Amino acid sequence: MATMTRVEKLAVAGRTMGVGGRLYRILSAVPTWVLWGLVVIWSLPTFTVLVNSFRTADAQRAVAWWNDFGGYTLENYAEVLGSGVTGGMAQALLNSFSIAIPATIIPIAIAAFAAYAFAWMDFKGREWWFIGTVSLLAVPLQTALIPLLTMFSRGGRWTLPFFEKTVTLFPDVDLAGDLTSVWLAHTGFALPFAIFLLHNYISGLPKDVFESAYIDGADHYTIFWRLVVPLSVPVLAAFAIFQFLWTWNDYLIALTFIGGNREALPATVAIASLAGEFGLREHLLTAGAFVQAFVPIIVFFALQRYFVRGILAGSVKG
Amino acid sequence: MQQLIQTILGIVVAVGVSALLFVGANKWADQALVSWRRFAALSWALGGAVFGVVLVGNRLVAWRPAGDGGPDLTWLLPPLLGVLFGLWGWLGTEREGAGRVLWWAGGGVVLGLIVGVFARSATFPAMRIVPLVAWPAAIGLLWGGWNAVRGRRFLPGAVSGATVGWLAGAFGVPTLGGGTRLEAMMGWALLVGGVGLRIGIGSPFGVEERRRLVERARTVIFLAPALGFIGWALVFPTIRTVYMSFLDRRAERWVGLANYQRTFTDPTIFKVEGWPEIFRSELFYWSVGLALVGLIAGRLLGRQSGRAFEVGGLSVTPLAASVFLFAFAAFSKLRGTIFNNLWWIFTVTILATGLGLAIAVLADRARFESVAKSIIFMPMAISFVGAGIIWRFMYIARPPDRTQTGVLNALWVWLGRVSHSNGRYVAALLLGVALAALLYVAWRGYQAGSNSLAIGSLVTAAPVVWLIYRFLGPGIGGFQTMPDGTIAPATVLFLQEIPFNNVWLMVPFIWIYVGFCMVIFSAAIKGVPSDLIEAAKVDGATEAQTFWRVVVPQIAPTIGVVVTTLIVVVAKVFDIVKVMTNGNFDTQVLANEMWQRAFTELDFGLGSALAVLIFVAVLPIMYLNIRRMQKEAL
Repeated sequence: MATMTRVEKLAVAGRTMGVGGRLYRILSAVPTWVLWGLVVIWSLPTFTVLVNSFRTADAQRAVAWWNDFGGYTLENYAEVLGSGVTGGMAQALLNSFSIAIPATIIPIAIAAFAAYAFAWMDFKGREWWFIGTVSLLAVPLQTALIPLLTMFSRGGRWTLPFFEKTVTLFPDVDLAGDLTSVWLAHTGFALPFAIFLLHNYISGLPKDVFESAYIDGADHYTIFWRLVVPLSVPVLAAFAIFQFLWTWNDYLIALTFIGGNREALPATVAIASLAGEFGLREHLLTAGAFVQAFVPIIVFFALQRYFVRGILAGSVKG
Repeated sequence: MQQLIQTILGIVVAVGVSALLFVGANKWADQALVSWRRFAALSWALGGAVFGVVLVGNRLVAWRPAGDGGPDLTWLLPPLLGVLFGLWGWLGTEREGAGRVLWWAGGGVVLGLIVGVFARSATFPAMRIVPLVAWPAAIGLLWGGWNAVRGRRFLPGAVSGATVGWLAGAFGVPTLGGGTRLEAMMGWALLVGGVGLRIGIGSPFGVEERRRLVERARTVIFLAPALGFIGWALVFPTIRTVYMSFLDRRAERWVGLANYQRTFTDPTIFKVEGWPEIFRSELFYWSVGLALVGLIAGRLLGRQSGRAFEVGGLSVTPLAASVFLFAFAAFSKLRGTIFNNLWWIFTVTILATGLGLAIAVLADRARFESVAKSIIFMPMAISFVGAGIIWRFMYIARPPDRTQTGVLNALWVWLGRVSHSNGRYVAALLLGVALAALLYVAWRGYQAGSNSLAIGSLVTAAPVVWLIYRFLGPGIGGFQTMPDGTIAPATVLFLQEIPFNNVWLMVPFIWIYVGFCMVIFSAAIKGVPSDLIEAAKVDGATEAQTFWRVVVPQIAPTIGVVVTTLIVVVAKVFDIVKVMTNGNFDTQVLANEMWQRAFTELDFGLGSALAVLIFVAVLPIMYLNIRRMQKEAL
């Protein structure tokens, strides 16, 4: 074979010739160097902002951080967390928790029921219901914003055609500006992905476990609580991390549904409005960005294993 | 503090109530097999209460026992109806024969009369005889006939149909508020009576039927919360948005396609006049040149391996770069929100996928793999808002005569300074050494008969030659020649310089998503069966050939998943643009345009039309996903 001899020649050239051999060794170390070069580039933006967050406004403006060591201070953090100009990041962080925690727990529970039903219950058109549900994954939430906001603020009404009678489908409870509206919206938007992810896992559980439990007279309700939930802890954790990061980092939904209520705004909206006055308060923005990113970064590094598992379960299959 | 307590309380209540509802519903289903009677009573009570809530919610009933000034006891009606319906069901389940029909029909009439007593005068229907007879007769006949055609009994269908028809004839057609209480009572009595009659003429549930009902109920209990939420938060609003895109700005009048027409005639959203410029731009010529390089390389290498065209790094990379540059040439001349969005989808998808794959491959053979991957993956945890802010600091441009504090402008200005000082000779010398090394490698490769090594080195050498030319000739980096001939620093205004500021906005997005792609590809590459790779090596394939002909086809489905996921995410990009430029300087994207039109200008029609455009952009992906799932299901 022609290729064989060429490769052999190259290998021989690599091993025997002095210069070539050294060249080969240098080249084989290239991936490590390139990779670590990329790592430096990738962490440079975060690092820049992190260092700047400990420098005073004047220092940030006059000298580049790589030319100015020492003089680090916590002033920016104190100012951002206090209730001064920003309306208080401390309050905003609290709001972020109030949004992210329920918006994580509620969809997990609801999606777990549905994923179990799609995986192990028998009903007509199961495949189609499942495909229909999961295909909604791709629906951009922008298409739902206007009607949902109207529903939250003015209720949902429908005038029956021909009869000209108006029916109330959703009462005016005036949820706009309330955290509840954000929980509900997050839950609805998260469900297709949650069902998809949990279904991938739950449908892969060994079949004989269910069969023997069924023969023993357990119904779906018992099987779900006694068998499926304990066995699915890894995937539930994976989704929880996913959803927590997503809701914590969300900006669009919070801005749309509670944008008018300054008391309830989460940290993303707080730093974004700080960014609106970039020229004036950019020194605070550094600290603000880190205060907002602190929690997700901790969660990320502590639970990275589950997070990666979640991403893989949602994509590599098939 | 008070807010904290309130929040925690809210969470506990929300989660607790949901859990109770779910557990309660399952316990309720269990009752069907333990005590059918209890089950029936509970179900009827629940149904009655829900009926009451619907009545109250639609302001059909009210209860003010002491007149207008007295207390409003309307809230008592749902529980009252719950209790009454519960009794009705409790006492009715095990009856048979004529007694059954009588109990259910008679009870229904009585309950309907009670509802009629509480009906608000504004809902009294002004009944007219013709619709009152025609509607029940028509729907009853249709429904019964349909049953008969399908080989079922005529009567139950006819009763169901007549009841629905009665609802239409008694409450749908007439003007509400013009009638008398008597008419309201008659309306409700016959409506609930009709429901009762339908149950009365049916036979009681047997054991087998009960078991099936419980199974069905269990499925509904497991699925209803999820499907209900999805329907309420996604499906219904999406349909409504599509409908609203045909209405005027206040969503009141039908305007047909006017909103879409406005979208495609507004030059800030859709502008194609610049298209001849595409073919005059420098990028276009580069694109043509690279295409030629790719085609020639593929042909040359193909001759060596006996194929018409060799698919490999040396042919695919220039071709991909060519397509890429052509797209840049096109998108920098076709302006407006829609083209910006397409530019985003194109660039981010390709760069994030490509870089992610490249890093995954690199990491596979590098040291300290997991630490490096973890750091590159980290931006995934940072919000788009945070990323936008972080990158604004990278892009900072101070006045040109001052110290640059942003990394990129500092580098750029430094480069400009070097290329106009004696430093340029040092730079040229270093580049010359690199060039010599590359030429040496190319020569060795040629000698050893490896065309790929030779061509690869030569292609890499080309930009080095260009850099040497820039350093020694016109200069490179951030500088400007002043009128008096001196050289002064010049900065790049990354976020303001049209049209490539769009690309700078995409960088944070890519920065975040490369990690995502890398993690997935890394797992996929490690999942390629090692015997396949061994076999390729034994057959004498080079590392590059193994990658392009074995690894890439193996991970092709994963690449598909990543690309589709990215397209869906990028199509709705919002946060980064909003935070970094808010759509100014020609960087508008659909999601931000939609938000501004709908929620700042309160033009719901146009906002909906723009949302529909985003939806249309992801429709092909939805189709592909459905096809893929269908295949998996089979």
